Amino acid sequence: MSGFRERAAHEIRTASPAATVTPIMRKLVDDSAAMLGRGPGDARQRAAAARAYAIDHLEELHAQIKGSFERRGIGYHLAATPEEAVDTVKRLLGSAKRVPKSKSMVAEEIGLTHALRAAGIDVLETDIGEYIVDIEGRGPSHITAPALHLNRARIRDLLARGGADLPDDDPERLSRFVRDAVGAFFQDCDAAITGSNLLIASSGRIGIVENEGNVSLGVSHPKLHIVVTGYEKVVADEAAAFAVLEMLAPSATAQPLTAFTHFLAGPAKGQQRHVVFVDNGRSRIAKEARYRELLKCIRCGACMNACPVYRAAGGLSYGSPYMGPVGAVLSPLLWPDGRYADLPFASSLCGRCSEICPVGIPLHRMLLDLRADAVSNGQVAGRIERAGWQAWALMFTGAPVARAATAMARLSLRGAGRMVRPHGDGDDPRLLPEPTPPRDPAMLWGAASGPPQLPSPTATATGDETATQELVELFRARAIQLGVEVVEKVRKQKGDRMLKATAAIASTGSVLLTGEATARRPLLAASRVVLEVGAKTIVRYPSDLASRLGDGEALILTGASRTADIEKQIVRGIHGAEALVVVLKK
Amino acid sequence: MPRVALFDPCYMAALRPGDADHARHVLRALGDEVTLIDGRCCGQPAYNSGFRGEAKSAGRELLRTAQPHATVVTASGSCTSMVQHYLPGLFAGERGAGAQSIANRFVEFTAYVAAHPNLDRLGLKLDGMVAYHDACHARRELGLTERALGLLARVRGLEVRRLAYEDECCGFGGAFSVKLPDVSVAMMTAKLDDVRGTGARVLVSGDFSCLAHLESGARGMGIAIETWTIAELLSRALE
Repeated sequence: MSGFRERAAHEIRTASPAATVTPIMRKLVDDSAAMLGRGPGDARQRAAAARAYAIDHLEELHAQIKGSFERRGIGYHLAATPEEAVDTVKRLLGSAKRVPKSKSMVAEEIGLTHALRAAGIDVLETDIGEYIVDIEGRGPSHITAPALHLNRARIRDLLARGGADLPDDDPERLSRFVRDAVGAFFQDCDAAITGSNLLIASSGRIGIVENEGNVSLGVSHPKLHIVVTGYEKVVADEAAAFAVLEMLAPSATAQPLTAFTHFLAGPAKGQQRHVVFVDNGRSRIAKEARYRELLKCIRCGACMNACPVYRAAGGLSYGSPYMGPVGAVLSPLLWPDGRYADLPFASSLCGRCSEICPVGIPLHRMLLDLRADAVSNGQVAGRIERAGWQAWALMFTGAPVARAATAMARLSLRGAGRMVRPHGDGDDPRLLPEPTPPRDPAMLWGAASGPPQLPSPTATATGDETATQELVELFRARAIQLGVEVVEKVRKQKGDRMLKATAAIASTGSVLLTGEATARRPLLAASRVVLEVGAKTIVRYPSDLASRLGDGEALILTGASRTADIEKQIVRGIHGAEALVVVLKK
Repeated sequence: MPRVALFDPCYMAALRPGDADHARHVLRALGDEVTLIDGRCCGQPAYNSGFRGEAKSAGRELLRTAQPHATVVTASGSCTSMVQHYLPGLFAGERGAGAQSIANRFVEFTAYVAAHPNLDRLGLKLDGMVAYHDACHARRELGLTERALGLLARVRGLEVRRLAYEDECCGFGGAFSVKLPDVSVAMMTAKLDDVRGTGARVLVSGDFSCLAHLESGARGMGIAIETWTIAELLSRALE
C-alpha cells in the first residue's frame, strides 16, 4: 500500500519540491506577517472568536440562515454525504450540459467534477491553477495555489496537450491563454458552480473571495448559480464575516484583501441561486471535544505555507484533497476508514502550524491525538512495532537499573541509527554521531572564508505604517501599491465603467460598491473601471464596513483582477480590466 | 547551597555520555548541589508515536524518581515540554494533578541557568564564533529563545550568529526521522545549508536531539561542523 512515506520519497526524488516551494513559502510567510501587521491589532482574536462562535452554534446558525435564504429566495440544501451532495447538485443542474466551476475545496472533497463528468456534464475548471492541474490529472498540490508544484515549462506542455500552441512559457501568456479559454466557455454555458468562504446567518448573504474574476462570471450567470460549501462555513453576522476576511487573504497570499470580495444577496431577476452545504462528517467532528476546533479553519493554507514537511514533500505526497498540517488532521477525520491514518505521522511536531494559524487551531496537538487514535484502533503500527514499544517501556520502568537501561538505550539507538539507512535506499546520508567526538579549538574560528552574516530574520522592517497617517493618504498609498491609479479628476474614455463607490478602506486600498454598481458582467467587460470615492467615506479597516454594507449586493474591489497561479508570478487583468482608477472627491 | 536534580535525558547517555558532566560542572560552579537522574525517559518517543500506555509507563517512573526533588534541571527543551505539557494529561483526576505538580518542578537547563541568582558570579569567557540552533519545542512550547540568546551573550569573547531561518525545524522529530527518512533528510539539508551560511563551524543548542540529527547529516555529507550543547559551551567557557 502506498502511503505518505512512499509518495513523499517519490516526490522528493523525482521533483524535489523543496527547491521551488521553500523559497516561495519563505517569502510568502514573511510577506503575510507584514501584511497582517498592517491590519488591526486584535484581528487574530476577533477571527478566532468569530469562528469559535460559529462552531459552537452550528445548528442555530443553520436554522437562521435557512430563514434568511428563504427571505432572499436562495435555495438551502444540506447534504449528509458526498453522494447526497453530488445528487443534489445534479438535480439542481437539471438539463444543464455545460457548467463552469470555480475553485472549491469541498468540491474536491466530494469529487464533484469527476462525478458530474461521469454523468455526461461538460464541467470546466475555471480557476487558472485548477484548469492546469485538471489537465495534469493529479489534483491540486496546495489549497490556494493548486498548480504550485508545476513550473512554467511543464504548464506549457500541459496546455499543449489541450491543443494550445504557445510560442513560449511566459506566465503572462500562459495565464491569458487559460483566461481566454475560460472566458469563451462562459459565453456559452447553462449554469455555474462556485464555492464560498463564509455564509452570513443573520443576513443570508454569501461571501466569496477571488482574484481572477472567474467567480464574478459564475455568480452572475443569468440562469443558475450553485454554491457548494462546507456545513461549518456559516458565521453569525457581517462583523464576524469581516473578522474572518481581515485574516484570510493576508494569511493565504499576503494580500490585504483579494481583488474581489463578493457579498451575494438574493438571485438576480430570472436567476436561480442555491447553496448546497456538505456535512460529510462535520457535525460528527463538531461533537468530538479533541477535534471540534478544527472546524474553525478558514482554509487559508497558512499552515502548509509554514510547514517544513509540506515544503519538503510537496502537497501531492499527502494523497488527499487537503494537504499540509490541516490536511493531515482533516483527512483522517473526514475519512475515518483508515486510508489517511498515516498522515498525522507526516509531521516533525515542530508546532509552526499551530503558531501561524490565524484562528488559533492547535494543529500539532491534534496530530498527536490522531496518532494515538490510529494506534489504538489498529490502523497503523504492526505487531513488531507494538512489541518494540512494549519492550521500550519495560526498559524505563521497574527497578532503577540505570546502567543496564542506559546500555539498552544505547543499543537501541545504535540500532535505530542503522535502521535509518536502509529506509533511504542507501542514499540516506546520515551517520550516527560519535558519542565522544574530538573537539578542535580551530572550529571556533569559523569557516575559512565564511560568507557575510545574514541579517536576522527577526529584524525585518516594520513597514511604512505610521499610525497617525491621515486616512486619505493611507488609502492613496495602499491603492497605488495595488496598481490602482488615484487622481482628483479624470477624462472619460471609451469603454470606461464609471461607478460611485459607497465607501473605501484605507488599510487595504479597497473600494466598496453596493447595489446596482456591483453588476459583475459590465464591470468585467469594461476596459477601464473608474471609481468615484468620497474622502469622507474612507474607513480604516475592513471591519469598519460591517455596518455600511446595506442589505443588498456588495462587492469590495482591491486592485485589478489578477492571478499568481503560475510560479506565484502576478499577472494583472485576468477576467476584468487591468486599469482601475479612483477619483478622490473632497 | 541549592540542591537540584539534573535529569539527563535517556538518549544522552547513549549519544553524548559526557554532556551530563558538562551540565553538572556548570551547576556546581553556580553553587548548586547536584543529584543526577539518568536511565529514565519522559515518554516522548512513545507518546509521539501514538503509544500512550507505554509513554505513561516510562513517564510515571521519571515522575516517581523526580518526586523527592524541588527542582529538576532538564538538559533538553523537548523533554521539559513533554513533562510539563503532555505527560500529566496521561493521568486522570488526582493522579493528574499530582503529575502536574511534579512536572512543574522541571526546568530546562538554559532557563534555569539564565535565571540563577549566582549567574553574575560565573566568569564566562570563550573566544570564538558559534551559530545558535533554536530547537522547536524550546522555542514554541517553552518560549526560551531570548533567554538562551541572552545567556550566550554573557560569554565574553563569543560571537553568536543567528540562522537566517532560525524558526524552521531541523527535521529530527524523533521517530519522524526514522519513519520518514526522505522528508527528514530534505529538512535537515535545508538546515545545514542555513548553518553553513552563518560561517560558524560550531553549532550550539539547548537540545542535543536536534544537534545529533544535524551532526549525523553533516558527518555523512562531509560537512565539517561540531555540535555542542549549551551546557558544553558554558562548561568550556568556565575553564
